[in-house]
Amino acid sequence: MEEMIKTKDLKYKYKTTYEEKGKTITKEITALDDINISIKKGSFVAVLGHNGSGKSTLAKHINALVKPTSGTIWVKGMDSKDESKLWDIRQTAGMVFQNPDNQIVATIVEEDVAFGPENLGIPRDEIIKRVDAALKCVSMEKYRKNEPARLSGGQKQRVAIAGVLAMKPDCIVFDEPTAMLDPEGRKDVMETIKKLNKEENITCILITHYMNEAVQADRVIIIDDGRIVMDGTPREVFVQVDKVKGYGLDVPQATEIAYELRKKGIDIPADIMTAEEMVGAICRLK
Amino acid sequence: MIRDITIGQYYRADSCIHKLDPRTKLIATMVYVVVLFIINDIYTYAFSIAVLAAAIILSKVPLKFIMRGIKSILFIIILTGILNLFTTRGTHILWQFGILKMTLEGAVMAAKMVVRLIILIICSSLLTLTTTPIELTDGIEYLLKPFRRFGVPAGEIAMMMSIALRFIPTLLDETDKIIKAQQARCADFDTGGLKEKAKSLIPVLVPLFISAFRRADELATAMEARCYRGGDGRTRMKNMEFGKNDYRCMIVLVLFVAITIIMMLVL
Repeated sequence: MEEMIKTKDLKYKYKTTYEEKGKTITKEITALDDINISIKKGSFVAVLGHNGSGKSTLAKHINALVKPTSGTIWVKGMDSKDESKLWDIRQTAGMVFQNPDNQIVATIVEEDVAFGPENLGIPRDEIIKRVDAALKCVSMEKYRKNEPARLSGGQKQRVAIAGVLAMKPDCIVFDEPTAMLDPEGRKDVMETIKKLNKEENITCILITHYMNEAVQADRVIIIDDGRIVMDGTPREVFVQVDKVKGYGLDVPQATEIAYELRKKGIDIPADIMTAEEMVGAICRLK
Repeated sequence: MIRDITIGQYYRADSCIHKLDPRTKLIATMVYVVVLFIINDIYTYAFSIAVLAAAIILSKVPLKFIMRGIKSILFIIILTGILNLFTTRGTHILWQFGILKMTLEGAVMAAKMVVRLIILIICSSLLTLTTTPIELTDGIEYLLKPFRRFGVPAGEIAMMMSIALRFIPTLLDETDKIIKAQQARCADFDTGGLKEKAKSLIPVLVPLFISAFRRADELATAMEARCYRGGDGRTRMKNMEFGKNDYRCMIVLVLFVAITIIMMLVL
């Protein structure tokens, strides 16, 4: 299978200055340290890590919003340090941010969705077609003439996703898209992401704090202190409950319960990820 | 709720004036204002007022909304009137008190200026009452296009205006939240004199500004991620088209200017 994203010894450092006891101190912080990953086309990868672990910095590298200090990142074979490929990279790898209010540009839903294609200089007829298709894909076609200010958080986030979709990307990076949403909105957005991955074959990279969202991915990567510390299928990763917790993260609730039950000597599989699996396993006991 | 504040002063109605292309309305308003400053006698004034009155009737905007605009600058109108009344030199003295002299010429001049100002305000209110802010932005962008070769960033200006419009409800919401949060911690916004009231707004404005800067930063990143690189090379989904009514309006406008010039020459 083709590679969508590949990094080699990717490093990112930045300087920060602060004052302590009247002295100005400059400190160099390594946000990403020797990252080597390869993400296949059409895959659905969840990236986990506690706050400040460097996962958002990694996301911004994929969209060429941030350039590596050393090492290289290729997006569909394009090196992000190549200035001439900058806009191609951003068109190939779209990005959805955490706060829907701060990424919607226009005062009308359809005009916001058209913003990306307009920037790419696409002809008018084609823009209209793309806007129609994108809004339909996120089930927001009824709201095309609405003002974004009057939509719910989940709806706004779906408009933001449509805005990225209209640029026809091969890959979308979601930077904690559900963090500011209520459970209903969270569910809608997750459904949309899964649909894009399965039906449109778009490579999805989901940065999240919610373990039940990470379980739905094909692959889970855990970043701690700028390094990749765990990488595998959700089952492979979450089974190592103690290790995951050591990085300041939770495991899915069902996995945690299974883990505690096993500690008490109850014979139950360790790799339970969802409530349904848990129910099945409990019913099979004796 | 604070978010229900209408932006601008658009009055929703279904009229031929509302449906005109924003460019037509902008041009018509500009031409009208220029004519207003050229005309000088009572007949042309009467004619201009009649044309404006016809436009108001066609627009279906109630008179009371149009008059609101005048109320806000009533002071300036009165001041202009008084200044003209007493500072114009003339020979027919109507009334004198010390150095204050009121002449017939002054009275005529004052009346003209006041009428001119009032018409000016009514005319521009009619534009903003019948055009949504976003339509106005699009119209301005289009009309500024020829000035691009002189370095006027037409696309950027329009983008800035539409982003400002987009963020008004968001920031109003935020202000509401901050005020409530401060009230929950016993901030008092209602009592005290003007000075105290102004002071009590500082704890609202500081967080509001900080959050606005943060939003601006995030929005800029999001716009870059969506390939925004300035106005050059952008296409637009929305297309403005001149309709039959726009051509009719242009004909009326040309006739208006022609008749005014003829009237000025003849009389």
